[in-house]
Amino acid sequence: MKWRRTWAVAWKEWREVMRDRLFFAMAFVVPSMILLVLGYGLSLDVENIPFAAIDYDKSALSRDYLHRFIDSRYFDYRGEARNVQQLDRLLAASRIRFAIIVPPRFQERLAASRPVAVQSLIDGVFPYRTQVSKGYVAAINADFSAHLLTDAIAQRQGIPRARARQFVTPIRLDARYLYNQAIRSRWSMSSGLIMLVLMVSPPFLTALGVVRERENGSIYNIYASTVSRGEFIVGKLLPYVVISAMNIFILWGFAVWLFGAPFKGDPLFFFTASLVYVICTAGIGLLVSLIVRTQAAAALLTMVITFIPAMLYSGLLVPVESMGRETQIEAHLFPTLYYLRIVWGSFLKGLGWPMLWGNVAALVAYAAVLWSVGFLSFHKRPRQ
Amino acid sequence: MSGGLRLWLSRLGAMTLKELKQLSRDPILLVVIVYFFTADIYIAGAGVHMDLNNAPIAVMDHDRSAASRELIYRFRPPYFRLVREPQSIREAVRLLDEGKVLAVLDIPAHFQRDLLAGRQTVVQMQVDASNAMLGTLVSTYAGRIVARYGFERAKMHLGMGKAQLQAIPVVENRHRVYYNPNQSDPWFMAISEMLTVITMLSLMLPAAAAVREKERGTIEQLAVSPLSPAQILLPKVLAMGLAVLVGAAASLFLVIQAVFHVPIKGSSMLFFIMTALYVFATSGLGLFIATLSRNLGQVVMLVILIMMPLLLLSGAWTPPEAMPAFLRQAMHVSPLFYFTEMSYAILLKGAGLGVLWRLMLELALLGSLVFAFGVWRFRRQFG
Repeated sequence: MKWRRTWAVAWKEWREVMRDRLFFAMAFVVPSMILLVLGYGLSLDVENIPFAAIDYDKSALSRDYLHRFIDSRYFDYRGEARNVQQLDRLLAASRIRFAIIVPPRFQERLAASRPVAVQSLIDGVFPYRTQVSKGYVAAINADFSAHLLTDAIAQRQGIPRARARQFVTPIRLDARYLYNQAIRSRWSMSSGLIMLVLMVSPPFLTALGVVRERENGSIYNIYASTVSRGEFIVGKLLPYVVISAMNIFILWGFAVWLFGAPFKGDPLFFFTASLVYVICTAGIGLLVSLIVRTQAAAALLTMVITFIPAMLYSGLLVPVESMGRETQIEAHLFPTLYYLRIVWGSFLKGLGWPMLWGNVAALVAYAAVLWSVGFLSFHKRPRQ
Repeated sequence: MSGGLRLWLSRLGAMTLKELKQLSRDPILLVVIVYFFTADIYIAGAGVHMDLNNAPIAVMDHDRSAASRELIYRFRPPYFRLVREPQSIREAVRLLDEGKVLAVLDIPAHFQRDLLAGRQTVVQMQVDASNAMLGTLVSTYAGRIVARYGFERAKMHLGMGKAQLQAIPVVENRHRVYYNPNQSDPWFMAISEMLTVITMLSLMLPAAAAVREKERGTIEQLAVSPLSPAQILLPKVLAMGLAVLVGAAASLFLVIQAVFHVPIKGSSMLFFIMTALYVFATSGLGLFIATLSRNLGQVVMLVILIMMPLLLLSGAWTPPEAMPAFLRQAMHVSPLFYFTEMSYAILLKGAGLGVLWRLMLELALLGSLVFAFGVWRFRRQFG
């Protein structure tokens, strides 16, 4: 392998990319765009749920109860409904996502120390939000009940309210959030998405670059030249690795300055590990380019094999430990899992080489396998 | 005149057939399209459960009493799974750092003594919040478990029997969940993924078909043929739209209905009419992309560039009410917003034209505008 020839291929490729202004701009715009859109769009904070209510009791206590929902920042009150049919219509038209019905004799029954069931209707189209809404309702009800119960016990047993309160809630859970004290989903998402973007964009660039030569037929120039297959592959991919390496800095900047994610780890470690990851994912693009013949197919196939693992098997949405056994094995077959540990470790946990070296080693091994397979299956003499 | 029309139609037919043949001769592309409409939707539906599922936790029990064991026992599947009992704080922090556990529960000494004496005790929990959503779920569920246990202890402590339990003033939850009573995640995820796939392919395929002609130079042959620009363009939209519709039917009936048991409540005919309308609108955008790009690399980049905001503004990830005000207004420019609303309304809520006519009209209007714009750009370039 001669460096001069490798360099010539790389330089030719770099000039080709530079001359395609639109493509060159997009190579930087698209990764940032994905980070911005998903970073803002994948907000899983459930707030301002629009809701309506029916109060059949119209007592002081029922109003007090409903105000716990109306005043909550999790709910957005859209007015009182006349009857259940109206609630059904509002739910069907997505005007409200949740409705609450206070039954008649609400105050009377509670004053007589008897339980009351309050009906809530919840839109179930988006299950995660439904689950969270249910949790809010349960929490408000529990709080309201504890309040009533405290009063009742204080009255019945003739003890002070503070003491009665201790009876009602004998155990308190004091949760402390490590690494992300205010549990901002922006912090997790913006940093975690670096993993997704760098999984998707380098393979796109490399696969399109190689397949374009094949589709246009200009690859025959390479076949006929003195450039060896190793020189061709390295030279061809080098510009795309460089572009992606620049993207590491851009994405890091967005996560830190725009989304305000803290970077607590070792920058040198992070960029070294990220470079290994980019070389690794560029190798995925190389393999795709060897399978397909047209650029359209290359783009779609890359989408398939990069987006899904990055979303589902990386731990971004579902932690690996919570997956089934088979899914866990699959998750370990993709590089995304290891790199996400590096990203969250560097950004939020402040870890470095001592704790994370194993993950970098896994990425190195992965890259070595991908590039070797790519090298071995690329032939300058296409078999007929 | 009718002869002219017949000629026009026969040319349209011939060109559509040519596009379909060309599509069928790229086997890998076909395989990928089939994959998108079946396996991809299955994986998206089956893979993501945004709920707590066997979250690994560690426990430091400083009390080692019957009461503390009883509490620990309640942290069990399906939500939690006890994996370790670290001996020191250092070890606990190390487990959290390595991501081996998501939370460490810390039960204080004298836990049982305080409970029996009626004094309030505090159980601590360190939660790994590097994934904010999971951190929230962990503390919500843990809070619920601890509260329920506390409430039972309180009742025991106050010496309440069965009869007296009837006599406490509490508000009980009676939830009724509409449209997806068991809150099955696959219902939502699979439909959402299908809409994404339809969007992506109806943007990409017509654009790719048009740009390929440019890239290979065959566009010149078409330009000197007796075909009008409309006769070159429409067949691409028709052929690719047909492929997308067939794919949508496959994923709706073979995956969403057959595998995930989504009860298709509304009319599937209405759904397909609406999908056709939507595909027509987005392929207009695809043609616009085709006029901007000279090669497929550019097409792919532009497709992603246009698709991402469409997805964000669709309401499929973040419903309108959770959006900032200006984005809520911007959603009305995204055809996918109307498509998403109507798809869930038809498939899960069983809505018919009576409810949907307005959205449908708006989509038709928006679609015609977008399509007309795409054709206008294309004509200007090649007319």
